[in-house]
Amino acid sequence: MKFLHTGDWQIGMRAAHVGAAGTRVREERLSAARRVIEAARREGAEFLVVCGDTFEDNGVDRVLVQKVADILGGFGGPVYVIPGNHDPFMPGSVWEHPAWRSSDNVCVLREATPTEVSGGTLFPCPARERHSGKDPTAWIAAAASRGIRVGLAHGTVEGVYQEEPDYPVPRDAAVRAGLDYLAIGHWHSTATYPAADGTLRMAYAGTHETTKFGERDSGNVLIVEIAGPGASPAVTAVRTGGLAWPVIEEEVREPGELARLRQRIEALENPGATLLDLRVAGLLCAQDRDELARLEQILASRFLFGRIDATRLRPSPSDDSWIAGLPAGALRSAATRLRELADPACAGPRPEGASPEVACRALLDLYALASEGGA
Amino acid sequence: MILRAIAVQGWRCFANPVSVGPFTDRLNVLHAPNATGKSTLFEALQRGLLDGHRVSGREVENLRPWGRELAPTVTVEFSHGGAEYRLTKRFCDHPAAELERRENGSFVRMAESEPADEKTREILTRNPPGRGLSRPENWGLAQVLWAPQGNLALDRLSGDLVADIRTALGVQVSGPGSGPLEERIETAYLRFFTPGGQCRRGKDAPALVRLRESLQDALEAQRTAAEQQQAFEEAARRVEDLRARRAQARRDADALAKSLRDARARAEAYRELISSKAQRAERLKAAEAQHRELEQRIEAIKTAAKDLGDVRRVLSQLRSELPSRVREVEQHQIEAARTQTALEDVRKTRDANEATRQTAERAGRYLDELRRASALDDRLRRINQASQTLAQHKLARSRLVAPDAKTLRAIRNAMKDCDEARMRLEAALITLEIVPEKAGTLVVVSGEEPGARSLSAGAPAQVKGSPEVVVDLPGVARLRARGPAGSIDEIRGERKKAAQKLKALTEAFGTADREALDALQDRATELDKRLAAAQTQLDTLLAGETAEQIQTERATLAAVISGMLADYPDWRATPPDAAALRAAAEASQRAFLAALDTAEAARDAAQIALNAAGRQRGTLEVRIEETDRRERSLAATLAELTDDGKSQGERESEMRRVALAWEAARTSLEEIDAKLAEFGEDPGATAATLEKQLQAADGTATQALEQEKREEGRLMQVSAQGPYSALARAEEEVARLKREIASEELQMAAIRLLRTTVEQSRNAALAAVAAPVELAATRTLQRIAGNRLGRIQLGDAFEPAQMMPGLAGASVSLESMSGGEREQIYLATRLALADVLAKGERQLVVLDDVLVATDSGRLARVMRILEEAAQRLQLLILTCHPERYQGLDGARFFDLERIRGSAAG
Repeated sequence: MKFLHTGDWQIGMRAAHVGAAGTRVREERLSAARRVIEAARREGAEFLVVCGDTFEDNGVDRVLVQKVADILGGFGGPVYVIPGNHDPFMPGSVWEHPAWRSSDNVCVLREATPTEVSGGTLFPCPARERHSGKDPTAWIAAAASRGIRVGLAHGTVEGVYQEEPDYPVPRDAAVRAGLDYLAIGHWHSTATYPAADGTLRMAYAGTHETTKFGERDSGNVLIVEIAGPGASPAVTAVRTGGLAWPVIEEEVREPGELARLRQRIEALENPGATLLDLRVAGLLCAQDRDELARLEQILASRFLFGRIDATRLRPSPSDDSWIAGLPAGALRSAATRLRELADPACAGPRPEGASPEVACRALLDLYALASEGGA
Repeated sequence: MILRAIAVQGWRCFANPVSVGPFTDRLNVLHAPNATGKSTLFEALQRGLLDGHRVSGREVENLRPWGRELAPTVTVEFSHGGAEYRLTKRFCDHPAAELERRENGSFVRMAESEPADEKTREILTRNPPGRGLSRPENWGLAQVLWAPQGNLALDRLSGDLVADIRTALGVQVSGPGSGPLEERIETAYLRFFTPGGQCRRGKDAPALVRLRESLQDALEAQRTAAEQQQAFEEAARRVEDLRARRAQARRDADALAKSLRDARARAEAYRELISSKAQRAERLKAAEAQHRELEQRIEAIKTAAKDLGDVRRVLSQLRSELPSRVREVEQHQIEAARTQTALEDVRKTRDANEATRQTAERAGRYLDELRRASALDDRLRRINQASQTLAQHKLARSRLVAPDAKTLRAIRNAMKDCDEARMRLEAALITLEIVPEKAGTLVVVSGEEPGARSLSAGAPAQVKGSPEVVVDLPGVARLRARGPAGSIDEIRGERKKAAQKLKALTEAFGTADREALDALQDRATELDKRLAAAQTQLDTLLAGETAEQIQTERATLAAVISGMLADYPDWRATPPDAAALRAAAEASQRAFLAALDTAEAARDAAQIALNAAGRQRGTLEVRIEETDRRERSLAATLAELTDDGKSQGERESEMRRVALAWEAARTSLEEIDAKLAEFGEDPGATAATLEKQLQAADGTATQALEQEKREEGRLMQVSAQGPYSALARAEEEVARLKREIASEELQMAAIRLLRTTVEQSRNAALAAVAAPVELAATRTLQRIAGNRLGRIQLGDAFEPAQMMPGLAGASVSLESMSGGEREQIYLATRLALADVLAKGERQLVVLDDVLVATDSGRLARVMRILEEAAQRLQLLILTCHPERYQGLDGARFFDLERIRGSAAG
């Protein structure tokens, strides 16, 4: 038995954190879904299991539902889908859309009852509500079943910190339920949970396309191959994500470091499919201010999305050459004062609204204005 | 600006054109007495240069000369920046403004109307007012340079002027090259903010304004989308609830249907058991009946056989007793006849006894009647006596005529009325009393009893009359006595009326004497009492009867007695001894009764014995007959009972068999009863109830389904709109706008901070350079007033704030200074500031009657200072005391009064 394990497609998800790139991010999730189908075909998967959260919410645009149904229907082979906590099977859910009834090969497993497949049995654990403190796999008693036994669940494997249990799945759920493999969804990075004997019988495929910055290992699907009942599954991750979500944190100290950072960013591949979270801290020399502006321009122009967090960047206290070049008197003393205010550690009274970030920006503006006139 | 000349017409007190000038570049003194128009001229200068010519309103209307329809007009000639200008403004009617510039020796029109206003004000102030009246804060440099009448005090200067002063001072403290950078900072600042620090609006508004507006729209869209999403989720929950409710209703209905099926099956089983029970009860009843019949037959045969034997024995015995009973009856018949004869003999003595008894009774009655007759006679006698007494009293009373109590009260009242009338009459009459000393004659001419009457010596004679009494004493005199006039006739009438009434009341009694009348009444009362007593006695004796009735009763009694004497004539002579007769009669009666009782007892005993014997014989005969009849009946019954052709043994065997069948039927019936008892109540009723419940549950499930379908329709409608996707897009837009706004805000906050910081730095520097102004002003003041007042300290807006004494001491407020000292402080400050603001260019300084409180000693020192100031400034002093400024060196004096006179002439 060979099948593709995926989930958490989060189709239609909001991407408020990436601004105008949100539309592209959503579209890319559909493209990634097509890549999943291609991967399944390429890898010779007999069927697909989608372990919940295919959609971000039951209230997504129905056109998206039809598109996903069409993409899954395009596989040709059986596709088994369970509702997750984002798209639980309930009235008005995406699973009531007529697209699912018209598909020949896509089977939405709405009930927790064993389903016969070629070579074995699936034990689906569909979600019927957004939150639940119950172990969704608790009902499975697969040991007596013949053939290969595969569970499909959506929840949180024990060990992941959560304020409240959310569809908790015991770490030994697969073994305890007598499953050869338990395919789970909910968390977005690929993760495997070997049993005590080292056999891998439980895994998160993770989302097929990264959803946000900071995800450890998302944008994959898993190809699972099981020789027979009781055999150790062979699990292989296949990349399906199309967008890169790098987070670059850099601390600069010396003049020129920002330029080097810019060069490094310029060297990133496929910036049009990259969302970059750049966090720069440290000391900013006035002469590097142009580099900062250039970085902003590069991120805005070349990258699908880019943001620079320079709130922890402050003017270098030793960089007073340009201040010395300012006209003596009010301007020079103002520049000195702003440099003091730009230092978070600045003691003494701080005028209203004069946060270090604002003061830093004001100082950079003064530098720019002074530069304009050649002062 | 240097003022060259000024001309006004139609302006308050200047109805005719008046022109003053040309002024020198240095010192000018315009003097005139009060109310001649100095300050008006200053006002014309100020309005001409600073007000828009189209200003209107009461304040401007008041510029017209009182009672004249003239348009206030002013012409000012001045120089500025090396050029000569002439400005003409006309207010109120056909307002107009014209600015001319001297070119090639003559003025050439440069601007008119509003441009003329604006151009002029630009010359004087950096921030000219808009259209309309100018206020001191819009005077620009003139705030410092021009002191209105009597007001040298420097109020808080406007921001523009303060900025100008600071700029003027700043140039001296800022390094070279700072201006362009500051301008760039200012330009950058003004891209976002107004000079007053407000965020720009309108077409020049920064992107932040538009972004914030967009954010509001986006937030509204987000809120709408969120509501839509919430509506979707709530609709989903409602459908879920309805499905659960429908499922529950369906489960309830299914459970009820199952219960109904069970109940119906139980009801069917129950009905079958009931039917079986009826059948088995019938069988039981038949078996029981058969058993009872057999048992009864067997018992009846036994009984009949036994009874027949017994009856036959009794019959034989009864028949043997009958002859003796017949003989016994015959003996008793003989004894009864004998006792009857004896009884008849005793009865024959009854009449004699009765006669004796009646005689004794009649004797007693006779004696009673005699006593009653005697009593009646006595009663009749007493009645007669009482009747006679009554008649006598009635006669005496009828003969006595006496007033009753009511009449007597009327008589007394009449007497009283008579007495009162008489007394009133006597009181009303004039009484003339004559006591003659010797006998004579008196002739009453007028008065009571007119005529002559004799007089006796010493005997008084009275004559009464009314209204006068006139008497003649013949030969002596005529006496006339008069009294007050009164109605004597009326009183006499009343007296007569009372007398007539009294007479009418007493006439019947023959006397009008009060005591006699009282005695008559007492006598009548006594007679009435006796009459009543006699009547009472008579009534008592009659006791409700009449005398005639009593007499009739007496006659009847006499007849009865006569009747008795006719039967017993002896009693007339010798009355009978009723007691003896009664005793004899009673003794005879007792003897008779005793004999009669004995005879009757014997006869009764014999008859009873006869009757008993007869009854015994009859009874015996009846019993024999009955027994005989019973014997025949029993024989017939026995024959009938045994006509089944079976033996008694066969019958008993059959009965045992039937008893077994009966027992089996009873057991079977008990089994059915036990089964029925297990059902409790009738399951049919339970089934009927369940049927209704099932219908209700079906209805509920149907309703829930319909509601669910409706809600599903709504849910589909909402979900088809993809509310989450709309919300996601809205949230993304909001997030994008917030990021852009944050970026813009950072940019604006940064430029604001930059500008503020630069300004603060500059202000700090300026604060340091303001010290020379303070120093210059202080030096001027000290030249006027000496060192006693100390150092002038300026405020933020360069206004004199307080005085700092020379030695370390507390600051002194200006309010604690004298009026003259304050004048000198303000003058010194104005001159110091004017030096700063002049920036090397000569400026007009106007002082309108400002040094009124300064004493002549200090004024002389002020003159020297003004002379020095005139080296840098043009001074125009308006005063009504030109002599105070005569000491000014090089001053040009203008006598306004004379000028006006010349113009008028």
